[in-house]
Amino acid sequence: MIEEPYRWVEAIANRAEYIETQLAAGSPIVAVGYRDGILFLTLGPARQKLFEIYDRIAMGAIGHPGDIERLRMAAIELASTEGFTRSAADVSLRRLAHYSLSPLLKTAFEQVYGAPYLARLLFAEIGAKQEGDLFLRLDYDGAIATNSASFGQTRQDFGVLSGTRQSTELMENFLRAEHSTGATFDRALKIALDAWTVGHLALGDGGVKELPARDKILAARKERLRGAGIEAALLERSDKIAIRYRALTEAEIRAPLGD
Amino acid sequence: MDPAAQALDQSFSGASDDFPALLRRRGLLAAVPTAGSVTANSAWVPTEATTILAFKFQGGVLVAGDRRATAGNTVVFDRADKVLEIDRHSIMAIAGVPATAWEMARVLEHSFQFFRRTQLQEMSVDGKVRALSKLLRDNFGFVLQGVGVVVPIFATYDSGADPSARLYFYDAMGAQFEVTDYAATGSGSPAVRGILFYENTWGKKPLLKLTEDEAVTVALRALDTAAESDTATGGVDRNAKIFPVIKIVCRDGITTLPEKRIAALFKRSVA
Repeated sequence: MIEEPYRWVEAIANRAEYIETQLAAGSPIVAVGYRDGILFLTLGPARQKLFEIYDRIAMGAIGHPGDIERLRMAAIELASTEGFTRSAADVSLRRLAHYSLSPLLKTAFEQVYGAPYLARLLFAEIGAKQEGDLFLRLDYDGAIATNSASFGQTRQDFGVLSGTRQSTELMENFLRAEHSTGATFDRALKIALDAWTVGHLALGDGGVKELPARDKILAARKERLRGAGIEAALLERSDKIAIRYRALTEAEIRAPLGD
Repeated sequence: MDPAAQALDQSFSGASDDFPALLRRRGLLAAVPTAGSVTANSAWVPTEATTILAFKFQGGVLVAGDRRATAGNTVVFDRADKVLEIDRHSIMAIAGVPATAWEMARVLEHSFQFFRRTQLQEMSVDGKVRALSKLLRDNFGFVLQGVGVVVPIFATYDSGADPSARLYFYDAMGAQFEVTDYAATGSGSPAVRGILFYENTWGKKPLLKLTEDEAVTVALRALDTAAESDTATGGVDRNAKIFPVIKIVCRDGITTLPEKRIAALFKRSVA
């Protein structure tokens, strides 16, 4: 039946719907650029969701752990072999995503007899200056969204990932309005947590459709923080050491918050 | 099939592969010569023309190496760096064929990082020591053919249950020996080993009790002594002001001693 073009389109639509349903509950992930680096953050993970890919590249993911694992491993293998045969400077997120991971995801998604990847990935690559930071979201069908300037969109210093389109868009709206280039770490941390809270409030059928008021966000953030663990990691801009990725401890995150 | 698709196909076995295996799978690392394909070169003379020394002192492990690279009777380079940082706490210092040694260091460096990134934990010190041993073992086919002998020293800081500085030397086949006090390798090593034994046994104090300045002084004197009789060791080049590379491993990581400091210490207590 798949031989008929219409059936194929239908099968693809079904599978997209299936994947969307599977991903819908995923806890949001926020990455914001600040003066001294890029901060990755998510809340309440039962398992690790933020990963080191290479010297200057980090990844956050939602979806099925098995699929995330296969994609993560592929990304690390590709980056490591490139870094070994050429140099660490030749490993670029743009190439990794555009030439390797995106085609792979698209192929798996469209071959309706095989299993697709139940995963959505957020990557960030730290630049020498903040203008060089790259944020890149890779969807299960291979679609890529980046922070670069394009027609009708100015350059952004952040990237987000969430279970639903609505949640993603609200988080982006929030960060566009609130996040500024050159923020300090403390400021970036608060903004990232607020963005996460916005994304979290927008999840599910009863989720908010508009940006909530500031005090509402703050109250929800405080409530969430009481019960949930925070997972956060940094890509540091300082070039003193080659490996820029560093996972933050819970104490390092809680101290500047004061709540 | 493109390389990425290959990584994700049925035979994908990421987690169980170590980095050298991945490189071999991609055809990026020379295959291990099998016993049958190797004919021992009877004319082969071991060439480990250099002097590397390492010993434990108050502040951790000091690793020092001269800068001379030779090919037969010719000095090809007088600023070679044979003391290589592998990760934040590990140093591999090499005597032997530079091409193989530097490649080995590169593979090792990437192996440790690859392990941490894929397995989400740091490789244990024993694992690291073993990884170098395996690289040497894999290289032994080339050694028998008369090319590519490498005899390294490995120094690291173990921040595990019993935090301490650890020091190992290897033979060309990959056997590893953990030492308590000092190790030396390369053509100039007999002289150096003599000095370190003497200092440790009958010196003003044992090596382990030396301060950083005293340790650097001992290292410089030992290398200069080795250079006195061994043409393949550069020692300290007084005319061109070329000093040995000296690195120190301790709990906080690796420090490379600035040339100015070495020069000052050399002037004060060696020259």
